[in-house]
Amino acid sequence: MPRQVRRRSLALLSGAGLLLTIAGCGSAPAASGPHNVTIVFASQGLGTEAQATQAAVNSFEKLHPHIHVQIETLSASSNDAYQTLITDLTSGSGTPDVITADVIWPATFAAAKWILPLNQFHPDTSRFYQGMVKSGEYQGKLYAMPWFINVEGLYYRTDLVKTPPATFAQLTSDAKSAMKNNSKLTGLAFEGNKYEGAVTVFQDISGGFGGEFLNAQGKPVLNSPQNIKALTWLNNAIKTGISPAAVTGWEEGNVQQAFLSGDAVFATNWPYLYPLAEASGSAVKGKVAFVPTPVDGGQATASLGGDDLVINKNTKYPKQSWELVQYLTSAKTMTARALISGDPPARTDAYTPALLQKAPWFKQEEAVYADATPRPVTPLYPQISAQIQEALSATYSGQLTPTKALDQAQKAVEAIVSGHGS
Amino acid sequence: MAAKPQIGPSLGTASPRPRRRRSYMASRSRVGYLLVLPAVAALAAIAIYPLIYNIVLSSRFDVLTEPGTGHFTGLANYRQMLTDPNFWGDLGRTGIFMVISVTLEFAAGLILALIVHREFKARGLVRASILIPWAIPTAVSALLWKMFFDIRSGFVDFALKALHLPGANLVWFNSPVLAWVPIILSDMWKNTPFIALLLLAGLQTIPQEIYESARIDGATGWQAFWSITLPLLRPAVMVALIFRTLSAMLVFDTIFVMTGGGPGQSTEVVAYYDWYKYMVSLNFGFGAAVAVAITVLALILATVYVRLLRQRGGFMT
Repeated sequence: MPRQVRRRSLALLSGAGLLLTIAGCGSAPAASGPHNVTIVFASQGLGTEAQATQAAVNSFEKLHPHIHVQIETLSASSNDAYQTLITDLTSGSGTPDVITADVIWPATFAAAKWILPLNQFHPDTSRFYQGMVKSGEYQGKLYAMPWFINVEGLYYRTDLVKTPPATFAQLTSDAKSAMKNNSKLTGLAFEGNKYEGAVTVFQDISGGFGGEFLNAQGKPVLNSPQNIKALTWLNNAIKTGISPAAVTGWEEGNVQQAFLSGDAVFATNWPYLYPLAEASGSAVKGKVAFVPTPVDGGQATASLGGDDLVINKNTKYPKQSWELVQYLTSAKTMTARALISGDPPARTDAYTPALLQKAPWFKQEEAVYADATPRPVTPLYPQISAQIQEALSATYSGQLTPTKALDQAQKAVEAIVSGHGS
Repeated sequence: MAAKPQIGPSLGTASPRPRRRRSYMASRSRVGYLLVLPAVAALAAIAIYPLIYNIVLSSRFDVLTEPGTGHFTGLANYRQMLTDPNFWGDLGRTGIFMVISVTLEFAAGLILALIVHREFKARGLVRASILIPWAIPTAVSALLWKMFFDIRSGFVDFALKALHLPGANLVWFNSPVLAWVPIILSDMWKNTPFIALLLLAGLQTIPQEIYESARIDGATGWQAFWSITLPLLRPAVMVALIFRTLSAMLVFDTIFVMTGGGPGQSTEVVAYYDWYKYMVSLNFGFGAAVAVAITVLALILATVYVRLLRQRGGFMT
């Protein structure tokens, strides 16, 4: 194209753009109209996760040339990202339009009327993991689309433990006998710091003993005998040296370090660890299995994590936002994401033979998804969790017995649920 | 010009003045008001408005997870706060932290200031380098110290083991008492340079002649320190103490990063309590009430200090 013509067409284009902008000021933007819109997509994730997001957004933009997606990267720390979002949403801002939400957030966001109910778009959730779909429901409406699933399970070393332990007593004795042969080993590496991760571990163990946080009627049952048994078991692991006292400050990263260096027999962690353990050069390559936690009167429980996609209620472009959500949660996009970043797809039809061939561990992970258990889906969950965190931390540090700590948490959570405490 | 030169607008003068002159004065004072207006507006926008907004918010029931239910509740939030044992517990811990950390930081800052006040080679370099910890963001320095005290990779454990001292193999953050040690050390590391800087500025204003005449009178170095340096340093001391005490009262980031208030509740402070009400409970009315209480306490503390400063102030006031 000769330069003159190109310049003229540029001028024409910018003129048209100006006109469109002026027109846009007067009327509400039409759905997938001819003019360009920019939607802001707030997302967490660095490294390969960020790459996967960028790739998905690029191909979305190719399909929808009139929608430009601006990615706003939130803090990698879940707590900080949550606070940034609360500030944005409280202010009534129309952006970010589409938001990546930890599975425990949608209930709070929905209760605060910050996000759109998605039923108006007639979403098809039949192919998604149903436990995860439930985490996005609030008062009978769907507010969140599952993006990728995460479950916390038990990693163990197949060279040190022949069969996965069926009971907690078995786990203890397996750990002990492995430690007898090699005194440098850690029996069980788990997340014991005062933070959300300690609650998911506790839920895994509690479920195995038959405990729960809230019963079917939504009433707190934190100091049930089952929960006391579960906390006593975890606390004894520290006391008897199966877990080092340092676990009281450990988060996922520390557990990962202990397990990948070959120092731990058992470890509680999320699926992201599997590809790292199987990577070339890993000290535990080929010696790893991933299972749900054992059972002792309850049922196998794997705390559900993962990320949902939600839409800001004040967005100017609900239709375009939904189109992005729909694209990101399609089976094809999820498979592509799993291949780039290892994030497990939240829908069953995304586990294609090609994906399973490249990442065989997804087969083992899928078995654990069957036991995926969401944390209580209530807008009060952040406060309930804070009380449980305090109880766990007070127990691990020897300030309270498991019974006393859970009694206190029960009282505090009863007050929170009845609206007389916070 | 016939009119007598006058400096600044004179306001509220009772005696009647010639008409023309008054209008001149009126226009001058109008200009004066116009000139200070931007400053007043900025202050109103960033300090006064939020303060008033917060006071209004503190009298309301305003929980974000229950939209549309906001209403005036009078003093209910304050009543709930004052009857909450957690509030008092957190306030007590804040007080203890304030006293211990400010005392230690002041002592260390004074020693540091006296050292860098002396003449020695590369003094400028040393003076600049002691400021490095102060220039590092609090969250970063807290994380740094958290890692120092890590039992697996931290140097504290390593050093204690190498020196055969007690305390090796301790999980510092799992003890309700010992968890304070890294917190206070991190706070000291960050804030001592600040105190040292203020005291150094104070030291430099003390005339050298006083020391010379003291030496002629036969005073020892120690006597000179007690009778000259300390009394004359008092204004700088007061300024340093006001700043540090108030920011110690608001300590949050160090604790949030290092312990999250744990183990259990043992390192929770009043700013943490406020954060929890705002960001976890999403109870903005209650959070505002706590913020108002903190503001009032800070004002009381500042008033006490300023009074002390005025009463016994030296030439610096």
